[in-house]
Order: sequence, then C-alpha cells, then structure tokens
Amino acid sequence: MIKFEHVNKTFADHPALVDITTEFKAHETTVIVGPSGSGKSTLLRSLNLLERPENGQYHFNDQIIDFAQPLSSKTILNLRRKTGMVFQDYNLFPHLTVVKNVMEGPVQVLKQSPADAKATAMTLLDKVGLADKADAYPSQLSGGQQQRVAIARSLAMNPEYILLDEPTSALDPELEAGVLRVLLELAQEKDSMIIVTHNMEFARAVADKILFVEAGQILFDGTPAEFFKQPTKRIADFLAAMTFTTISDKAN
Amino acid sequence: MDSIWHIIVTATPQIALAGLKYTIPIALISFALGLILAVLTALVKLSPRHGWFSILKAIAYFYVWLFRSTPLLVQLFIVYFGLPYLKIRGLFPNGIQMDPWAAGIMTFSLNTGAYCAETIRASILSIPQGQWEAAASIGMNKTQVLKRIILPQAARVSLPPLSNSFIGLVKDTSLAASITIIEMFEVSQQIAAQNYQPLVMYSLVAALYAILCSLLSWLQGYLEKRTSSYIRPAN
Repeated sequence: MIKFEHVNKTFADHPALVDITTEFKAHETTVIVGPSGSGKSTLLRSLNLLERPENGQYHFNDQIIDFAQPLSSKTILNLRRKTGMVFQDYNLFPHLTVVKNVMEGPVQVLKQSPADAKATAMTLLDKVGLADKADAYPSQLSGGQQQRVAIARSLAMNPEYILLDEPTSALDPELEAGVLRVLLELAQEKDSMIIVTHNMEFARAVADKILFVEAGQILFDGTPAEFFKQPTKRIADFLAAMTFTTISDKAN
Repeated sequence: MDSIWHIIVTATPQIALAGLKYTIPIALISFALGLILAVLTALVKLSPRHGWFSILKAIAYFYVWLFRSTPLLVQLFIVYFGLPYLKIRGLFPNGIQMDPWAAGIMTFSLNTGAYCAETIRASILSIPQGQWEAAASIGMNKTQVLKRIILPQAARVSLPPLSNSFIGLVKDTSLAASITIIEMFEVSQQIAAQNYQPLVMYSLVAALYAILCSLLSWLQGYLEKRTSSYIRPAN
C-alpha cells in the first residue's frame, strides 16, 4: 500500500497540491479525475518523484519518505523502479527498436542478461498485441501502438505500481480502444494501477476507487458507485461538462 | 616559362603529400580532441550550479568565451611564439616550448572545442524533457540517461553543425603555415615563390581544399542518412 499524508506542492505562486492525504491499495485500480490544471498529473508525478512536493509524508509499503528532507538519489531511483510510468505522449526512445525500448530498463537498471530481458520483452509485447512489431522503430507505429509499447516498457521493470498520466488523451478514439483494452486486462489481473484520465466511461469500467481533484485538493475519495450515482453538486457539474465534451466530440 | 598544365601536374603531388602528412592528420587529431573537450564542456555548462560544479562551470564559461572572442591566428601566435616567454619558476623555468605540431594541435583542439561545446550543448537541450523523464522513470541514473538515451539522440542532431565545424577546421589548418608547419598552403607558397605564379598556385591549393571539403560534405550526407534511419518510417 502507498500513502500520501499532508502533502503540499506549489508551482511558482499557485498551489498544485494542497494538504493531500490519501492511500492507494495494492491490486486495485485508482482513477484520478478532475478539470484541467487541477493538480491530478502533479499528484501522479509526485508518486514517482518526477515532481518533488515541499512537505508531507510518503509511505511506500514500510518505507517512509519525508518530503521536507533532502532525498538521496538512491532513494529516488529505488522508488522509481517500483513505480512504472506511462506518459500522455508515450516518450518512447526513438533511436531504439520496440523490443529494445522494452529491454532497456531490465538490462541497464536491473542488470538482466539481454537474452532474459528479450524473452520477457517478447512476452510483454505479445500481451499488448505487438510482438510482430518488435524490430520496428517507434516512428513506424501509430500513437496507440506506441502507447501499448510504453505500457510494456513499464511492465518490464515489474513495478509494484503502474502510474498512467492521461494515457489515451493524445489518441484518436479508434486507437484509444486498443490501449484501454490492455489496461482493462491489467486491472482484471489485479495489477496495482493509478490512472489519470478524462474518459469517464473508462473510469467507471476500471476503477476500484476514484479521486476527484480540483485546485490541488481532493474533493472526493471513494468508490465509483458513489461517485457516479450520488455525486455532489460540483461533481455533477463536472460530469455534465465532460459529457457535453464527449457528445460534441462525437458530433464532429 | 612553364606551361600552366606542367605547373599543375608537378605541384599537385607535392601539395597533396603535405595534405596527407599535415593538413588531414592535424585536422583529424584536433577535431577528435576538440570533440572530447566539447562534450565535457557542454555537460559542465548544463550541470546544476552547486558545490565544486560552480567552479568547473566558471572555467567552462571562461574557456568558451576566450576562444570564441579572439582570432585563431592570434591564438596560434600566443601558443607558439608567446608561451616560450612564460617562465614559471619551478614549473617552466625556460618558458613553455612546444614544437609546431604540438602547438598547432593544442590550439586547433581548444579552438574547435569551444565552438563544438556550444553545438553539443544546444543539441542536448533539443532532446525533449519527456526523454529524460521516461528514462528516469525506469530507474536509470543520470549517467545512464545521458549515455544511453540523450547523447545518442543529441549526436544525430549535432551531426550537421559539427560537420560545419570540421570543414571549417580543415580550412583553418592553413593558418598553421604561420607557425612553420609545412602544410598544403605553406607548400603552395613555397612553390609560388620559386615559379612566380601566385595566381596559379593559390588557385590550385584552393581547388585542392575544395575537393577535400567536398568529400567531407559527401561523408556528412552519408552519415546523416545512416543515423536518421529511425526518424522516418521505412518504405
């Protein structure tokens, strides 16, 4: 289980995270939703220390990190190994083939033999439906395929948690489906995931828990059933706005 | 008076030999050393400003400033003719004396290194932040990120401007004539002094520099094509 307690982060003059306290259970999928600029990505990125909150406590299993203290690079790297990250714009390594992208972490960081790493990489590529693209370069793939490679790359490190930052926001709807299917499958296999998304249908389908973040604060922390069936006024407004966007997108 | 054709036929091998013995080796060695210096300087300039890095940073800034702000010819003169007068008790009691080769290679390396440092710094900065983040999020340390992810991509970006610097350096080696190195230009001057045909001789040496640099341009194109194969989809 990982947990944030009273975590704060400020960008320049505006607060990005305000007294965040919440926990993410293992083998569950937590979905973080909220309007643009609400701090949901900052929350996610703070979990693998791509962002550094100013204060508060971070519990990772038995390990406790105090954000107010300086962190050793060993602590940071160790924690990043345990938290896989999938980015909105994939960030595959363009100069490496698909299979080498997936092997890079295991070989360089976990010091696996290239043969072992390749075997694992091929299994994972098969899982995301891209074994036949192993020797292609990222530029030869569609956005959806690149994102599935990025998911395989993060799984290759065998992380305890997989963090996904708007994994389908850059994709066309027909490409989005392929990525969402992979994530649903991972959720069914009880992988521990934390997902930032704008896709409410997906959130409803995949979430064990939903966090609603606005202005750096958690305004809702509970089950999808509560979130969608008995929303507060603010959440109802948010959902209505999201629905309108979805409808107008489809109309185009 | 010799016919122009005869001059060309007899002088070309002599100039070409000087090119093989001096121009090309000086350019290659200086560029290789300059590149190493440039990568180190670029990394220092990009490093965070704390601890002893601030001192290294100050040195890197001073070095690039110094060599970009003074003429190469003057730098050669200071190193070859000037440094012998820099007498430091205990260390260099008789001044710093270098043979023309060492003085030339040192000056050319330092000069091209200063320019290439800026090229490499810019190409490292051109790699998207997402690449650093993706590499960091699979647990790579800074050295691994640089070596495996950033520098290979930066190398591709910096290939055209670095080729520019190398071609420039090849031509700048003609300045080595002034510190008594018998490279291509010096040979053509010596022959011109004997046959009183400066127009023919200097045009000839210009043509030979042009041929050499054209070969390098072609090599640049070839390397660019090879290193860019991952950028565009195949077919």
